[in-house]
Amino acid sequence: MEYALLQAVFLPLLLSPIAYILGRKMGPTVATWFTFGVLLYCTWLVIDVSLSGSYSEHYTWTKLFGEFGFKLDGLAIPFAVMIYVLSTVLALYSKPYMVHKFHELYEEHVHHSESHSGQTTTIVGSSELTGYVNRQSGLYFALYLVFAMGMLGTVLATNLIEFYVFFEVMLIPGFFLVAFYGDGPRRRISLMFLFWTHVGAVVLLLGFLTIGLAVGSFDFAAISEAKIPQNVLMLAAIAIVLGLGVKLAAFIFHIWLPYVHGAAPTPISALLSPAMIGIGAYGVFRLIVEFLPSTYEQMAIWLQVWGLATMIYGGAMALMQDDVKRLLAYSSVSQMGYILFGIGSYSVLGLAGAEFMYITHGLGKALLFMTAGILIVQCGTRSLTKLGGLAGKMPITAVCGVIGALTIAGVPPTSGFMGEWTLFAGALDTAVKHHSTIRMVTFGLGLVATVITMSYMLWMLKRVFFGKLPEHLSHVKEASWYMTAPMMVLAGFTIVVGLYPDIFFKDILPYIHGVLK
Amino acid sequence: MEANFLGFLPSFAPTSAWLVWILPFIGALIIPGVGKASKNATGYVAVAFALMSAISAATLLSGALQAHEVHDQVDWITSIGIKAGVLADPLAVIMANVVGWIAFLIMVYSTGYMKGDKDITRFWFWMMFFIGSMQIIVLSDNLLMMFFGWEGVGLASYALISFWYRDKDKDHVGVKGRTVLGLQDYYSPTHSGMKAFIMTKVGDIMMLSGMFLIFSFAGTFGFRELLNETTWATQMQAQGLLVPAAVLLFGGAIGKSAQFPLNEWLLEAMTGPTAVSALIHAATMVKAGVFLVARIGPLFFALAAMGFSMDQFFEVIAWVGGITALLLATQGMVNSEIKKVLAYSTGSQIGYMMMAMGVAGLSHQFVDGYTAGFFHLISHAMFKASLFMAAGSLLHVVGSRFMSDMGGLRKYMKKTYAFMWAAGLGLMGAPFITTGFWSKDAIFGAVYESGNAWAIPLFVIAVLTAVITTFYTTRMIGMVFFGNKSKHIEHMEKEGHHVHEASLSMWVPYGILAVLTIGIGIIGLTAEHGIHELFTEYLGNTFHIESAQEVVKDNGLPSFLEGINPVALMASLGAFSIGISLGYVFYIGRFVDPVKFVNSNIVFYSIHKLLLNRWYLNAIVYWCFVVAPLWLARGVWRYFEKYAIDLGLNVGFEKSVGWSAKVVQKTQTGVAQSYLYVFGAGILLVVFFLFLR
Repeated sequence: MEYALLQAVFLPLLLSPIAYILGRKMGPTVATWFTFGVLLYCTWLVIDVSLSGSYSEHYTWTKLFGEFGFKLDGLAIPFAVMIYVLSTVLALYSKPYMVHKFHELYEEHVHHSESHSGQTTTIVGSSELTGYVNRQSGLYFALYLVFAMGMLGTVLATNLIEFYVFFEVMLIPGFFLVAFYGDGPRRRISLMFLFWTHVGAVVLLLGFLTIGLAVGSFDFAAISEAKIPQNVLMLAAIAIVLGLGVKLAAFIFHIWLPYVHGAAPTPISALLSPAMIGIGAYGVFRLIVEFLPSTYEQMAIWLQVWGLATMIYGGAMALMQDDVKRLLAYSSVSQMGYILFGIGSYSVLGLAGAEFMYITHGLGKALLFMTAGILIVQCGTRSLTKLGGLAGKMPITAVCGVIGALTIAGVPPTSGFMGEWTLFAGALDTAVKHHSTIRMVTFGLGLVATVITMSYMLWMLKRVFFGKLPEHLSHVKEASWYMTAPMMVLAGFTIVVGLYPDIFFKDILPYIHGVLK
Repeated sequence: MEANFLGFLPSFAPTSAWLVWILPFIGALIIPGVGKASKNATGYVAVAFALMSAISAATLLSGALQAHEVHDQVDWITSIGIKAGVLADPLAVIMANVVGWIAFLIMVYSTGYMKGDKDITRFWFWMMFFIGSMQIIVLSDNLLMMFFGWEGVGLASYALISFWYRDKDKDHVGVKGRTVLGLQDYYSPTHSGMKAFIMTKVGDIMMLSGMFLIFSFAGTFGFRELLNETTWATQMQAQGLLVPAAVLLFGGAIGKSAQFPLNEWLLEAMTGPTAVSALIHAATMVKAGVFLVARIGPLFFALAAMGFSMDQFFEVIAWVGGITALLLATQGMVNSEIKKVLAYSTGSQIGYMMMAMGVAGLSHQFVDGYTAGFFHLISHAMFKASLFMAAGSLLHVVGSRFMSDMGGLRKYMKKTYAFMWAAGLGLMGAPFITTGFWSKDAIFGAVYESGNAWAIPLFVIAVLTAVITTFYTTRMIGMVFFGNKSKHIEHMEKEGHHVHEASLSMWVPYGILAVLTIGIGIIGLTAEHGIHELFTEYLGNTFHIESAQEVVKDNGLPSFLEGINPVALMASLGAFSIGISLGYVFYIGRFVDPVKFVNSNIVFYSIHKLLLNRWYLNAIVYWCFVVAPLWLARGVWRYFEKYAIDLGLNVGFEKSVGWSAKVVQKTQTGVAQSYLYVFGAGILLVVFFLFLR
């Protein structure tokens, strides 16, 4: 199909004003379904062209930067498909959650203006509230579309500058979504988000410029390690890894993530956490593993150790959280550690497993954030100490949440196991073949991290769904279909992928074989 | 086996081999749908699917008893070159039948036991999932697919142990308020489910490492592929990784079969409904570990026969089994909860099986120990399922898990009383009439005759464990059925609840198994010889493990005991009589009051306390692997994450930006003179640098 990827990337951007107008004029339901429809069509486009295995489009751009292209290959397919699948189902999920949030914000808003004007309380007309909700939902879905499009553009880009542009494009709506609709001190946190990821992006850009200027072209196709002088090669690679490390929230650079994922409106957390930060992993794959193979060979063990530290640290911190969303945020840190660990394994299976982890983490973490969102809407709290025994009250949520947790914990038949076993089998393979003690130890500790992962997941489930039901939750009801149906889709998907991983492996493995000759 | 007495059964292999594990999953998938329509119907659907699965397993028997093998593969993860497949060799088929039929009986029992539970749909779903997963373990032809089943039973056990997730007091195990080393010995269902899942996960990661090590060299997970091409073993041997890989694989069995040191989850697993306990202990879950050893044991022994040194691997198995057998049996003597006594007993009996499989690899007659271990698995499956189901009836009737709340029940529950004796005698190994006797005797014989350095110490452990086993079984029966009615029962009767026999659907299943324990026991030696012959052929054909021709030595015993080792027989008889007499004195005849006896001197008192506190192992596990890591994590959270990283990097950076902005702000004085000064100083500096060059 011609222009399929061009459409998939730019349709959401072009149609976002329409989403805004529809929301304003006709309310959240119409805006939701419009957004859903646009993204569903674009998802279908992406899936349709990715079935052929490899596909690319090229367009002329400025002479200065090279060409503007989109490419779907074994690396990009899982990322692209997951980004749009998640964006699509979360669009539906957004509706009840965001309407709930808009109501909250409206009260805050009214209260705020009251306290300023000092007037006595007047009965607020419901039309005023409806107007507010409509305005906000228009804005929300417009930003949502741009956010989704930025993520997809990044993983399809075929040019360093293009990559960078999209990398920043997804940041802007992300910033506004947190600043407008977040919880807690949302302005401050959104600035923190912007600051950290922007600094990361600038460091990344330094690496890009070094490579681009050394090679003489920013096109991916032109990049060759041999053309880059040895003395700047390693520096450029380190700049890229550090820049992406911020996005990945790897150990030490992770600190922005719990704030942002905790504060972001939950559907956005569910997109930020698995889809967006994983793009950092995509960058490492594309830019380091594929383009700078000999540098990658030198770096691999350090990436693995860094990954291990992130896995264990994130897991240990997740054990300490009381706020569900912060727990999940630390869990994301830990999961990104798994991916980094796999990238560092320097083996076909390990790399394939790392890439598979993106899919599996996307599915599992989205399910869990959606569970957290339901808790916020239905129970009005996200503190684990105030929750408990909800399995009987909200069975569908409980089942989907448990499937999500098992996916993260890597229990078959969920997709988590397929990612995990290939990852670890690969890591051990390299350790044995290279007779590397440090890799052996890293492998062993990595397996210990899986026990930590399982512990915090099961403990969270226990505190949310099992045990005695607190008094104040005795009237809690199951969430609406807008929320549960998307969860059921993802829960089904994780099991299908877990039983038949070839859906993604058939694209991933040839690519990895090609890269790791 | 010469005469194929099951030849009349049709054989649809390999389809039926697939169906054995697929059917339970189909059942599990349709049960939630059925539950929407009618909750009562779910039970029938579950029982029907369990029966169909068992029948599929039975159709495989005729081929398997002639030592035929069905091996069928389909493509699975083609991009890595991994196939899924079923491997129905005699080992798998016999196991599949044990699992299938016992699970079927337990399902029938559950229709009575779980009647009226409002979450019954969930119960049936997980029971079917449990059976299906176990059958995957049994019939899978490669380690990876087996691991699916392996984690599947873990998941199902997690769900079923925490089945009563509302954590009511009556569903806990342990004694409220009792502490060991400062930690409560009282666990809720949800806690216990987590404990089981996480502890077995520790075993699982060992198993995964072992699998991956082998995969890294062999490039395959398939059992038959590993056997047919053994260059991988040569390479691993050269790097010294063969034995570690084998031991790591066995680590999975340690976790799943609750062997020392990963044994502590098994006791808390008693929070699940009793039908679940029966399933976990008799057919699924803990038997998976033994089956794994039975699966990989011959492979590694065949390697040993080719000249690889595998002794350490088999020594580890034998000793882990031996230690567990004794360790858990001792604790069974003092516990007051009937289900926990049975749980201790299971762990201990599994230890026997491991011990037998271990010494098999250390002896020249591999088949002896192998058969003994496997035969014990079968007989244990029967009597333990029966005992658990009977215990479930008692719980149902009395409404308490403590044996001290029972007492004198033999007049009221005559059938349960009789069946519990029959099954209990199986566990004790009552001479000549029970399956337990023959299988235990086979283990004694195999250990004694194995002829390796550890034979005698292990033999002593085995016999000592047998004495203890007989004692605690007698104690259990004595406390429940003899003596006077407890205060609890009197109280119940006052309130109008009368103690009565369990319902038909409940007592029939455990009745059948109890009768079988005795029935097969009477022809036990013949049955054992049958399995022995079959396994000799199987091991010879498949693994080329040749066994010396059975020479029936004249052992000076009556002819119906031919082939029995006289030392083992004497030990067996001795252990039984000592154990049962001690039990009789304390708990049936009640000539001596056990409480007074224990408190009579400090030695008995301390031993009793040590055993009651579970050798302090559980508390140590909690301190080292729960309390300490959480404490550490809290420290890191409070002092590193919050201060060093958050305050230092995040807030610190934010503040320093604000602070530097203020500094810069102050320089913007707006006074032209100061600007000029700075401007001049700048020029001077530039000139200065230019001169320096």
